[in-house]
Amino acid sequence: MPNEPYIVLLVAIPMATAVLSTLVRGWLSAQRALTVVGLAASSVLSIVWLVTLEPGALMVSQAGDWPAPFGITLVFDRLSGLMLAAAGFVALAVYLFGIASSEQEQGRGWFHPLYALLMMGVNFSFLTGDLFNLFVAFEIMLMASYAMMGLGGDKRQLSQAYKYVMINLVGSTFFVLGAALIYGMTGTLNYADLAVRVLESTTPGGAPLPTGFTAVATMLLFVFAIKAALFPLWFWLPDTYHTCSISVAAVFAGLLTKVGVYALVRLAPMVLAAPNIREAGPIMTILPLAAGLTMLLGGLAALAMRETRRILAMLLISHIGYMAFGLAVMTPAALSGSVFYMIQHMVVMAALFLACGLIEHRLRSSDLAETGGLATRAPWLAALFFIAMFSLVGLPPLSGFFGKFILLREGFRLSGRGYWLLSALGLATGFLTLLALGKVWIRTFWGPAPERAIADRIAPAADRFAALPMHLALALLVAASIGMGLGAEAVQRYTSAATADLNHPRGYVTAVLGPGAWPGEPTVDRAPAILGPPVALTVDASPTETR
Amino acid sequence: MTLLLSIIVAVIFAVGVYLLLGRELKGMAMGLFMLSHGANLGILAMSGQPVRHTPAGATPLGPPILTEATQPVDPLPQALILTAIVISFAVTAFLLTLLVATYRRAEHLGADELANDDRPTVLTGV
Repeated sequence: MPNEPYIVLLVAIPMATAVLSTLVRGWLSAQRALTVVGLAASSVLSIVWLVTLEPGALMVSQAGDWPAPFGITLVFDRLSGLMLAAAGFVALAVYLFGIASSEQEQGRGWFHPLYALLMMGVNFSFLTGDLFNLFVAFEIMLMASYAMMGLGGDKRQLSQAYKYVMINLVGSTFFVLGAALIYGMTGTLNYADLAVRVLESTTPGGAPLPTGFTAVATMLLFVFAIKAALFPLWFWLPDTYHTCSISVAAVFAGLLTKVGVYALVRLAPMVLAAPNIREAGPIMTILPLAAGLTMLLGGLAALAMRETRRILAMLLISHIGYMAFGLAVMTPAALSGSVFYMIQHMVVMAALFLACGLIEHRLRSSDLAETGGLATRAPWLAALFFIAMFSLVGLPPLSGFFGKFILLREGFRLSGRGYWLLSALGLATGFLTLLALGKVWIRTFWGPAPERAIADRIAPAADRFAALPMHLALALLVAASIGMGLGAEAVQRYTSAATADLNHPRGYVTAVLGPGAWPGEPTVDRAPAILGPPVALTVDASPTETR
Repeated sequence: MTLLLSIIVAVIFAVGVYLLLGRELKGMAMGLFMLSHGANLGILAMSGQPVRHTPAGATPLGPPILTEATQPVDPLPQALILTAIVISFAVTAFLLTLLVATYRRAEHLGADELANDDRPTVLTGV
């Protein structure tokens, strides 16, 4: 099998950027130029590789030419390529916004290397093909994010950072333990090798599944659910996104939760809840519950909040539920909807957080009681917020509609197994999102201008001109959301190609472990039902060819 | 040996969780350190005990560093532990720094008092 070591560039470029911009610390313009070049280079590279990837092919790098289960494996396939491209683009746009605002001057020049390190961790976790390296990637990303949360260095930021640091440290501990237990049970940590072991466990003559494998799989689900902020584990998110500076909050909202969801999309259909063991463990009971409750309770909590930033944080959580919905159904079409939703959500959520930053910039507050009158005072901001808002709500032709459409249709198609319930909750959540954002819209843009005492805080005209580059960075993200909506068919072709064989990763396993490693198709897939008895699935057993 | 290690891991985890449930940040940080040590020992327990295979059957050996083992243990878990130790070392250093910085500004480390102060950081001026 060909070894394509150059895909490590997607990790190496952000790392080099971080090192170099540490060396020129204190020279602001050099740091900015370096970081922009580094972020642009890695996102352009991933877009080019994604577009030129031949149908059915994927790029694999075996570090040092060590064969797969022993060495460090990096895999660039359509799934990781889509995530890398979207994440790179969002990171670049948010960084450009940060250049325009003054926030990067905080922390004596450490913002720039930390931002590059964060992207190194994010890219590494998308690329890696090994459970332990995923842990290392998470840690790189988390270390950078811990430091970025407290960069402003004031008391509030530090005290709120603890919630985030502590919950993630607990998560990391469980991740190490889970990886160790998986290694102890199966003797491997490579995704492809694990997929083969799990598949072989139910074929005649194969070694049986080790005792407790499903328990460890559930433990890993717990770890990824913390990162993704799924229902019972989302309490850390609203407080922490609330106190850090806005470009940090935007990049966290865009990328960090998606890394957890990506890990589940990659691992759950292939290893943790592979088709042949899907009924054995509690994962497929937990996921629909978590998905439904995340959507509904996040939406309700957003209605209760009185500050734009908190409303956005709750909506961010609530819409993670849609991605979990796709995971809970776990058919190729549903997973494709999840991935579509994930990439558009990165863009839209970052856009909304940046818009919130601009609201705070104009009015010095995002508390709904202290804002108002921006529709006439800041028409461009109002227009951009309006588009981003309806993209999140899911109005065609914006990107949010198509992700929801794929998911809800798949839910209703499988309504015999009870998934209509999730689709109905998804529709209700769209309505709750509209209500919560409508509240922001009415109080901030339409409502009466703030009273005299508050009006003094409105930024003067000169400030408004300086804010133009920030609007441009926001417009870049909003344009991407519109583009993804108008070109939804093309994006959908990519996402369904990315997820077509996640349940039966023959192509992935063959590319990583070499020809002949795939032990053959299982005879039957049984899909669990959330209402009623399990149903044999013959339709989904053969991966649909979409290209 | 594996049983002993498992018991030690369980005790360390119990102590860590107990400390983590406190309301004082220093204690909670210590609890987290205990947890990460417990996880590292857990990996060690996973690596299994070296066994000498003879025609008469398998005889378990003691820790290879203490006895003359001919059957080496699996080196990979030890590589994993090394990586995990380095990472938890960095995280420990970071958390201690955060504690010192917080104490300098707030002059106490009570979790409840700190948690209540959560006004947003707004974007001020360009």
